[in-house]
This record gives sequence, C-alpha cells and structure tokens, in this order.
Amino acid sequence: MIKLDVFQPTFGLDKEEENVVVPKEELYCSTPLAPSLRWNVLSNNAPKDLTKFHHGTTTLSFVFSEGIVAAVDSRASMGQYIGSGSVKKVIEINKYLLGTMAGGAADCTFWERYLGMRCRLFELKNKERISVAAASKILCNTVYQYKGMGLSMGTMIMGWDKKGPHIYYVDSEGTRLKGQKFSVGSGSTHALGVLDQGYQWNMSVEEACELGRRSIYHATHRDAFSGGYINVYYIGPDGWKFISHEDSGFDKHYQYATEKATQQQQQMSIS
Amino acid sequence: MSQLQGFGGFQFDLLERNEKLKEKGYQVPTARKTGTTIVGVVFQDGVVLGADTRATSDTTVFDKNCEKIHYIAPNIYCCGAGTAADTENTTALISSQLKLHRLNSGRESRVTTALTLLKRMLFRYQGYVSAALVLGGVDFYGPHLYTVYPHGSTDRLPFVTMGSGSLAAMSVFESKYKDDMSRAEAEQLVYEAISAGIFNDLGSGGNVDLCVITRGHTEYMRGYAKENERLFRKPQGYSFPVGTTSILSSIFEKSLAHTPSVTDPESSFSMAVD
Amino acid sequence: MGDSILTYNGGCVLAMAGKNCVAIAADRRFGVQQTTIGTDTTRIFKINDRLMLGLTGLRTDVITLYHRFVQRLNLYRLREEREIKPASFSNMVASTLYSRRFAPYFVEPVVAGLTEKGEPYLCAQDLLGAPLFAQDFVVSGTCAESLYGTSETFWKPDLSPAELFEVTSQSLLAAVDRDCLSGWGAVVHIITLDGIETKFLKARMD
Repeated sequence: MIKLDVFQPTFGLDKEEENVVVPKEELYCSTPLAPSLRWNVLSNNAPKDLTKFHHGTTTLSFVFSEGIVAAVDSRASMGQYIGSGSVKKVIEINKYLLGTMAGGAADCTFWERYLGMRCRLFELKNKERISVAAASKILCNTVYQYKGMGLSMGTMIMGWDKKGPHIYYVDSEGTRLKGQKFSVGSGSTHALGVLDQGYQWNMSVEEACELGRRSIYHATHRDAFSGGYINVYYIGPDGWKFISHEDSGFDKHYQYATEKATQQQQQMSIS
Repeated sequence: MSQLQGFGGFQFDLLERNEKLKEKGYQVPTARKTGTTIVGVVFQDGVVLGADTRATSDTTVFDKNCEKIHYIAPNIYCCGAGTAADTENTTALISSQLKLHRLNSGRESRVTTALTLLKRMLFRYQGYVSAALVLGGVDFYGPHLYTVYPHGSTDRLPFVTMGSGSLAAMSVFESKYKDDMSRAEAEQLVYEAISAGIFNDLGSGGNVDLCVITRGHTEYMRGYAKENERLFRKPQGYSFPVGTTSILSSIFEKSLAHTPSVTDPESSFSMAVD
Repeated sequence: MGDSILTYNGGCVLAMAGKNCVAIAADRRFGVQQTTIGTDTTRIFKINDRLMLGLTGLRTDVITLYHRFVQRLNLYRLREEREIKPASFSNMVASTLYSRRFAPYFVEPVVAGLTEKGEPYLCAQDLLGAPLFAQDFVVSGTCAESLYGTSETFWKPDLSPAELFEVTSQSLLAAVDRDCLSGWGAVVHIITLDGIETKFLKARMD
C-alpha cells in the first residue's frame, strides 16, 4: 500500500519512489470522474451550431533558452458583439502548469479545471509531479471521448517538468502536438508573423516577454475578434510567473506609435 | 442618361451580383418593416384613420415615432403596413398621379380613383411590393373606407384593421362599433383600437396618430395620445465637460457663400494601411 | 460569422442634432470580415457646406453610390445653379435606393445637415430607401443597436456645438468598443452655419 499524505504533498521532491499501485493505463485514461454527456449520443443529434459558437482569440506560447513565454489577449466575442474585454485566457492549472483558452470559454475553463484535479490526484498517488506530456494526454484523451458532441477548444498546455520546458497543443478534435512555438485562435496568423520574425533561441526573459506582447498587439490590431488587454506569463524551472497585464488597443498602440515615430525621426536625422 | 434621370420603374442591374452573393451563402439583409396596427372607421360625416408609430427591423425598434398615415390628396389619406420603403413609395407615387389628375381635370380627387390606381399597381407587382394599406377619404359621393392587400385585392367596409396588430384592433371594433357614430365617438373608438394594438402586439408601439377626414376638412392629429413617454432614471441626463474626448487632429473648413461648384469625387478618398 | 452582406466590411455612422448645429460621426475601419485592412477610411462625404452624407454597409456599394450622387449633384448644380437642400438630397438618395427595390445596393445612408434656417436635419434610411426622420439622432451600421443605447442615454436637446461634439464622440466610442467590426479610429464632423469642423478622435485600435 502507498501512503497518501494529502496535507504534505511531495511534489516529486521525495525520492522514495516507484511503488505505484495504480495501473499505468488507468492513470492516463480519461474516465475517472469525467462528467457524462451520454444523453447527447442517445439523442443522436450532435449540436452542430455549438461548434460554430466562435470565440475569437489570439493566444501564443513559445520555448526559448530560459523557459516558456505565454501571451494572450482578453476579448470574448459573441458573434460580432464583444461580450467582455477583460477575460483571463491563461488558466493556471497548478504551480508548474498553464493552459490557454481558445474556442468555447466554458469548455476550456471546465476541462482545464478538470485537468487540474487529475494532475493533483496524480501527485497524491505517485508522490511526484505529473509531466507536461502526461497532463496534456489526460486532457486530450478526455476531450477525444466527447469528439463530435460539440466541444470547442484549442489550448496549449505548458509547463516545466523533469525534462525541462514543454508545450503541447491540444484541441477538441483530439489533436495533440508537441512543439516549440504555437499560436491558437482567429488572430494566430497575424501573431505568428511577428513571432517568427522576431524569434531567437537565445533571448532574455524580458526580450521574450516583449516579443510575445508585440505579437499579441499586432494580432489585436489586425484581427477583429481579438483585443482588450495583453496578459503575459513566464514559465521557468520554479514554475510560472505572471509578468504583465497591459491595455493593447489604446495604451500599447499609442506607445508603439510614438516609439515608431521617434525612431523614424532619429533615422531621418542620421541620414 | 435615362438611368440617371429616373424615368421610373425598377432597375435590376445589381440582380446578378446579388444572386451570386446569395448563392455564396451571404445573408440578404432585411428591409425595415412596420409591424403595425392601422385602422379606419366610418362615422356620421366622414372617416377616422388611426395608426401606431413603431418601425422595426428584426427585433430592434428603429423608429419610435414614425408616420404611418400618408398623404394621398387633401381629402384622402392612407395608412400603410408592410415594408416601410414600399408603403412610403407606393403612396407617394399614387399621390403624385392624383395631383397631376387634379391639375388636368380641375376636380377634387375621388377615393375610388386612388383605390384603383393603388390596386392596379400592387396587382401588377404580384405581391412583391409588400404594402398593406387602409385607404380613407371623403369625396363627392361621401365617406369611403377601403383596405388594399399587397396582391391588389380590396375590401370596402365600415370598419377595417390591418397589420400585425389587426386582430387586437379588430376585437375592439367588433365589440364596440355602431353605425352613424359621432366624430368624438369615432375618435375614441379608433384610439382604443390602436391602443389595443400598441399594448397587445409586440410589433406595434409608440404613440397613437389619428387623421379625421370630413367633407372639406381634414385634421391630422400626430401624437393624439402618447402613452409610452420615456421615463428617465436620471432626468437631468448625462453631461461630459468640454475636453473629455481626446483628439488627434482637428480641421475647420469655413463655410463660403453658397456658390454651387462641381465636385471631384476622388478628392474625398484616401486609402492607406497603418 | 460575418454572414450578412451588410456586415462584410463593418463600420458605423451616428448623427446627432444640437442647437443650430448637427454632428455626424463615423468609425474608420475598413475590413474584410474579420481582418482589418485599413484604418483611415472615409465613409462620411461632404455634399455642401451644410450637408453631409454617411454611408455604411458594403464598401463597394458605398463608393459606387457616392460617385453616382456626385454625378447627379453636379448635374443638379449645373441645372439649378444653387446648392441642394437637405430634404431634396434625402429624396435623391431614397429614390436611387428604391429604384433598386428588387436588387438593392447594400448600404444604409445617413443624411445630416442644416436647413436654410439653420435648423438641424437628420434622415436615416434603410437599404431600400425608406426614410426615417428624427429630431434627436440617427444611427446606422454594424453596431446600430449599441449606438441606439448610448445615444439614447447621452443625448439631450439644445446642445451647443462643443457639447454636441462630446456627446456624439462619447456615444460613438462607447458603442464601437462593444463591436468587433467597427472602430479603429473615429471622425466627427460638426456642421454649423459658419462651417464644418472635423475632428479625428484618439480611439481604441483593436
């Protein structure tokens, strides 16, 4: 029998390991405690319009020499109407894991909260932190069970585990991809343009955060369904850290505009 | 040139394009409609026409106080329900034809002439011009009241209702109408019928407009009853001190003496991306 | 999303009446569905010193119609040797639109100006040219509902040109910030008997 100490979780710091009693396949499978949506299958009409419920977004994250930076906008649109301009689209799963939100807001918050629960259960059972790969797979397997039933979710699961920083892209279609650089949402193409152009492996945390911010800013400028504030997170070996919350459409726009103007002026005076 | 000068008739030059867009799956926009209550009643020596004042587009109230009783001739008026543009233009067209007729003949227009012109036009367009009308007036032969349906059929009755609120209004007429009412009675009855429409039909609302036509005299009572005056939570309103809005740049173009000058359309355009 | 033709390019116009003045304002976005292509769009056109025309809807029709009106206005000026009155111009717009009753232009015009006596004149029309006359304000475009809400709360009778500018600007900016397809800058024209004052607003650019 393993000893579960709920009040003093080990977070993998304890080296007294490997007496797992729970079978591996059960750990990563999707069934435990996931709510049942069986009625939907029985009634045999997948709510097609639910998948059309679009939630315009720009989210991005990338790995660089010092860790991971995640940057997101904050607009929630209901059709062309802006439902909210101050949504938190980075979901804090636990101290070391972050998820982003694109698609249906409810689907993302609900399933990532559920993922948080599963990760905690994993820790309690195994006395060590779950890897990003395993966490993302739990989410992926879970949403795959509901495939075709109207879930809409495009998320990046990011974190730092034993093997370093990792990003996984998971969506409600069942896709799960590991990568260095992702951007999800209606403004993702605009954001990737800026991100690819400015990306280098060896960046300082400040530079990386500014690159993320700028990518999101340009996406909010061009994409009608992205906007509001830019939230930036950094993930290092000690877990995630909230970096900044800035207004994109007004403060950042006019800041960048004046910077550009002064730069041009300087160039003019040089030449 | 004939295109520009407007020799009348509808033009279909955009039809092909619009059909293509429809095929591609773009929704065709809806025109403004008047979900309406319009009524008319004959009394001792004339007719009373009544209408609500709400204009809607989908679920939005676009005009809270629009005019639905249209002028046809000094002694003839016409209430319109259906697509706003159609009622407006159909009545205006017939009105102008009658004016020309009066100028030619030197006689007062007759209600039946207006009726014939209207039903001919609507029948010709097979119901595609969606105007449902209540036509009333007093001429040489006395008071007349008609309804005209979008397809061109007509009714001649002592009391009529039309529009989405017609059922509510008709219930009032059916229970309270009498032959040979006095003017005051008729006004009251029409007012009650329109109110029934305003309060019981979601497509109707706003104020009650009345038009009383008697021999040689027409009285148009805009806002006969205003039962939906807006109540303000903050009666003094909001105010913004001058300078609240931040401005990037400002230009003042002084008004010159009104001398007509030909414009170059390109001067108003600029397109650049930043 | 963006399924309607009227919301394909986005944009909105608001016009308000004051005491011996009118304001007409618009956003500056030109988009193709969700992508913003331009942020310096003109959708309010000067007709004469006391009259302006705002056009929202499908951009290609906005431009085509404006050119048509300029042509008709130029012919009008040559024939009449005077400037057109607001009411006559409204009728010109309405009849042009209604002539396409069964294959319409996808625009919603707003006519704002001052009459000869200096009284405000406001007229909004739907895409078939059904006129709507108002004593207070008229709106059109992708955030018409929001504009109704803000205008309904902020507008008061007998505003001076300076006050009218603030009320119009704030009504427009507040409404536009709740609409994905409008915004990216704004312009306000204040029409008085002395002339037209044009102000470009510092607005949200997302």
